Amino acid sequence: MTDIKLSWPKNYNEIPKEAFVREDIYAEEVKRIFHGTEWHPVAHESELPNPGDFKTYRLAGVPLLIGRDVDGVVRVFYNACSHRGNQLETAVMGNKTEFECPYHRWLFDSKGDLVGCPNPREFLPGFNKADYPLAQPRFDIFFGLIFVTISAETEALLDYLGDSQNCLRELLAGDGRLKLLGYQKVRYDTNWKSYTDNDGYHAPLLHQAFKMLNWQGGKGRQYTATHRGHICFESALSVATGPSVLKDKSLIEFKGQDPAVGSRIVSLFPTFVSTKHLDVINLRFATPIDAETVEVHYAYFAHQDDDEEMVRHRLRQSSNLLGPCGLISMEDASVFHRIHIGNHTPGSAIFQKGVHDPLKLESEFLQNDESGNLPRWEYYRSVMGFKRAAA
Amino acid sequence: MMQADISLEAALNALLLADAHALDGKDMSGWLGNYAEEEAASYYCRSAENSEHGFALGFMYDDCRSRLEDRVTFVNDIWAGTFQDYRTRHFVQLTSFDRIDATTLGMRSNFSVFMTPKDTGITQVLAAGQYLDSVRQGKNGELKLLSRRAELDTSVLPRYLVYPI
Ligand code: FES
Ligand SMILES: [Fe+2]
Repeated sequence: MTDIKLSWPKNYNEIPKEAFVREDIYAEEVKRIFHGTEWHPVAHESELPNPGDFKTYRLAGVPLLIGRDVDGVVRVFYNACSHRGNQLETAVMGNKTEFECPYHRWLFDSKGDLVGCPNPREFLPGFNKADYPLAQPRFDIFFGLIFVTISAETEALLDYLGDSQNCLRELLAGDGRLKLLGYQKVRYDTNWKSYTDNDGYHAPLLHQAFKMLNWQGGKGRQYTATHRGHICFESALSVATGPSVLKDKSLIEFKGQDPAVGSRIVSLFPTFVSTKHLDVINLRFATPIDAETVEVHYAYFAHQDDDEEMVRHRLRQSSNLLGPCGLISMEDASVFHRIHIGNHTPGSAIFQKGVHDPLKLESEFLQNDESGNLPRWEYYRSVMGFKRAAA
Repeated sequence: MMQADISLEAALNALLLADAHALDGKDMSGWLGNYAEEEAASYYCRSAENSEHGFALGFMYDDCRSRLEDRVTFVNDIWAGTFQDYRTRHFVQLTSFDRIDATTLGMRSNFSVFMTPKDTGITQVLAAGQYLDSVRQGKNGELKLLSRRAELDTSVLPRYLVYPI
């Protein structure tokens, strides 16, 4: 760990803009956060439904190979050969029961064991294949959601999730029995923290669709869980009323059950955002590429019990509503870019909506407050070792 | 090539260029005008990666004529003034076509799209890929898109999309 200097204001609602743009801070974030004591969602089991299915993913540069072995057990490996470290698998996803490294032809099975290598008699005396399985990071699974942590010190996953567990489980359809519909992948020209700093305040203001469709926000709550400030939104679904500007209403129709809490968002520190809105189930796996770029894989799901018509409805809604080109989210994408440009100016970003006392942190918020992001910022400050100015 | 094929090819090329022209001119009603006036008219934009793995999900999924009309509303009315605007240039190249039945043709073409955000003025590639189209031939021989799938080799977009590809 390097000691990085950044003067942090005494008020909890002021975030120094330098934190979003300084390269030295980014390098330290990779060490302290992305390779530190955090759990990072990297896939959902339903992306690998069958034995031999795999997906590759890079978590802040670290290549991962996430697979289901021939016995159906999910495993996570570093995607690097145990010989000299060559990237083992290049496909984004696929199905294989063996992985062969082309460099010197070492062969691994779906459990990560080294099962073959040419000319081992010429190796170091005592060489034993059993000593060279694919290396693995720690991983754990919550209702199918696969988390990885690079650090040995991270607490148990359930403790990490704390009071966000219920909301996350419900968002994963209550049982985690999802079916993958496909991906939207995009890079945003913004710091990863601007991407996750999207707030509850902006929705009715930035997104004109709400106004034009006479789509009032339903009643709901926002709360934070654990000292990391994971954010959960739970709200009743509201349905657009009045004359619609849309000719095809199916885009904003709700065909599921339980409109009482029909809308949920769980945003886990540092970069994971997941949402269930109308009939869209969306898990967003995000990773920083550098200080000014974040890559987001929006993965969309149906439920395993859906009939054909419901799947088609979800496909239409998922493709058009909440992604990088979605009816009520394209504007977010544009704000990510613009806020990053604005962050190259002196001073602090100052949160207002929902802040009652700048010297106190709360954990319950109104749905359209922006102050729900502040506990997360306090955790970020502490993990980065930035000193808060004396009150 | 027969004379009929040559004039058909010219007409298909004209349809391709008309679509590129409408998109680069941000003329959404012109874009809509290139589609057949049938309820089945559709436009999809998705990554080849999704298609290869059997996923129908896309960046845009307009599976009926009214969804196409709504896409015009998104761009012209709902999103107006909320995003950093950008120019695009579509380069299209017909690669093959065939007749499916008396009133329908299949057409494939390559595309590459450059984009230049207004604020930065820096030009970069937005996407490359191919159009997989079915084309409706009307009574007088006029051609309209019945269905277009813009299949992107670019599986990770360099930014969000406002306009169709
Ligand atoms: S690096 Fe893989 S076999 Fe040598
Ligand atoms: Fe938003």
